[in-house]
Amino acid sequence: MNPPACLAAAPALTHNTLVVAAGVAAVGCAAGVVGSLSLLRKRPLIGDAAAHTTLVGVAGAFLLTGRRDLPTLLTGALVAAVAGLAAVVLVRRFTRTRDDAATAIVIGVGFGLGIALLSGITARGLPGSAGLEQFLLGHTAALTARDAVVLAVVSAAAVAVVLLGLKEATLVAFDAAFAAATGWPVGWIDQVLVTLVAVMVVVGLPAAGAVLVTALVVIPPVAARQWTDRVPTLLLLGGTFGLVAAVTGVAVSAVVPRMPTGPLVVLAAAAICIVSLVIAPRRGWLARRRRQITLEPPRA
Amino acid sequence: MPTLQSRLPGPPPREADVADAGKFVPPVVEFHDVTVAYGGRPVLWNVDLTIAEPCLFGIIGPNGAGKSTLLKSGLGLVPLVHGTARFWGRPLAEVRGRVGYVPQRETVDWDFPVSVMDVVLMGTYGRLGWFRRPGGRERSLARECLDRVGLIDVADRQIGRLSGGQQQRVFVARALAQEADIYFLDEPMAGVDARSQEQIFGVLAGLRSEGRLVVVVHHDLRTAAAWFDRVALIDMRLVATGPTAEVLTPANLRRTYAGQVDLLEEIGQAVAARGRTT
Repeated sequence: MNPPACLAAAPALTHNTLVVAAGVAAVGCAAGVVGSLSLLRKRPLIGDAAAHTTLVGVAGAFLLTGRRDLPTLLTGALVAAVAGLAAVVLVRRFTRTRDDAATAIVIGVGFGLGIALLSGITARGLPGSAGLEQFLLGHTAALTARDAVVLAVVSAAAVAVVLLGLKEATLVAFDAAFAAATGWPVGWIDQVLVTLVAVMVVVGLPAAGAVLVTALVVIPPVAARQWTDRVPTLLLLGGTFGLVAAVTGVAVSAVVPRMPTGPLVVLAAAAICIVSLVIAPRRGWLARRRRQITLEPPRA
Repeated sequence: MPTLQSRLPGPPPREADVADAGKFVPPVVEFHDVTVAYGGRPVLWNVDLTIAEPCLFGIIGPNGAGKSTLLKSGLGLVPLVHGTARFWGRPLAEVRGRVGYVPQRETVDWDFPVSVMDVVLMGTYGRLGWFRRPGGRERSLARECLDRVGLIDVADRQIGRLSGGQQQRVFVARALAQEADIYFLDEPMAGVDARSQEQIFGVLAGLRSEGRLVVVVHHDLRTAAAWFDRVALIDMRLVATGPTAEVLTPANLRRTYAGQVDLLEEIGQAVAARGRTT
């Protein structure tokens, strides 16, 4: 079941490779932007619930349609991701389970179901099923230029929605009670934000895979937060870091044969994050340590 | 606090009543038979509270008495099991832009990456509506509001780098930017330094003298006697309401704060002393 992936992983810098890299760069950037808002709303794990249920959708879409083109599979993934998010809400509401426990339940059940379906499909060697397992850890080398364009367009749309509703989203993230008291539909604004996270998790699947794609939404924003005290700058830096991480992962996996992209993307993002946590001015570890030593008097 | 007492002229004259005699004027705020429960446990029972006209109004009671819940029920932030809250005789949805709100300071994350100016501008969002960004008019309004609370110099600072009292004043400035006619404030004096308290009280007294209603959830009985024109004593139910000096009697306080008798003796004497001087 491995030949197609190997053939596509030729390290030549073709037109296709460049288009794919650009598409994945757009995904990384949009994931950083959307993730920054999600970080501000203090819901970093919600993307994880969506991500781990996507495999059910990938497998389901294949079984239902018999097709394995990217738009079909990702549509299935999105349906499953939204269902997973709805499941978190339902578990919480009807069982009085806490938010984190409800999320953990959905992550576990969704992922278990997805793996069971995928294993069943690949073990039977159903025709055309080769490569489905790449959604587990991500593998961009198999993407076509058309796939990349789809990913880029969806990413651009997600960023456009964020920029359009940035005022409203910031208000709700900072002070939901005040937002509600002044008449804003907090529930709906949250819903849009969560849906955006689900969309980014889904289009991030080819780059990072279901297990690691949340990192694309979480790590670059955390790194960005170290450098700024303003929301617009946070989005800009979050997008930039996400882009750099995605491109790094794609580039390395294009050179190293049969290397999944997901771990590389995440490691690149983690490197940026660690550097940020240590050396960022004022919030970084070094700066705080220096302040402790010199006991700088507070600014008036 | 003699300075605060001497600044407070007492309830405003009621010329409006005379002019409008015979005409029905709906009360500014009216809670009718309000009952609220959290997870099946009631926190407010059948509260009827009418605030007929603009004044500086205190909602007083012990911890867990449902003071904040009463404010939130008025703002539609907690579901009512029973009852209604009306403003000028109308439901909140029709007058939302005219009701300002200052939540408790601890309800937000002050590490949030916004500046003092950004937060005050949020007060203008309701009027701006969907997708419109604050412009020059909003910015100059926000600067005016910051000036009123004495924070114009820290407008560009990240909100986490302020003292607790300054943070509370940022919230007051944001409410001012709402340009409302009714203000609901939830414990604006809690954990706030004396200077900020005085500044906030000055702003609230200013709003009152502009003919606006200011409703304050407050826990400190000593200052309550000096600051408010009228108060409501609440302990899950409405215990008493009316002009401050008439309501804050030892008997009423005993009914509200059952079990805190030492404090009551002291407060009762303070209130009695104030009654003699005015």
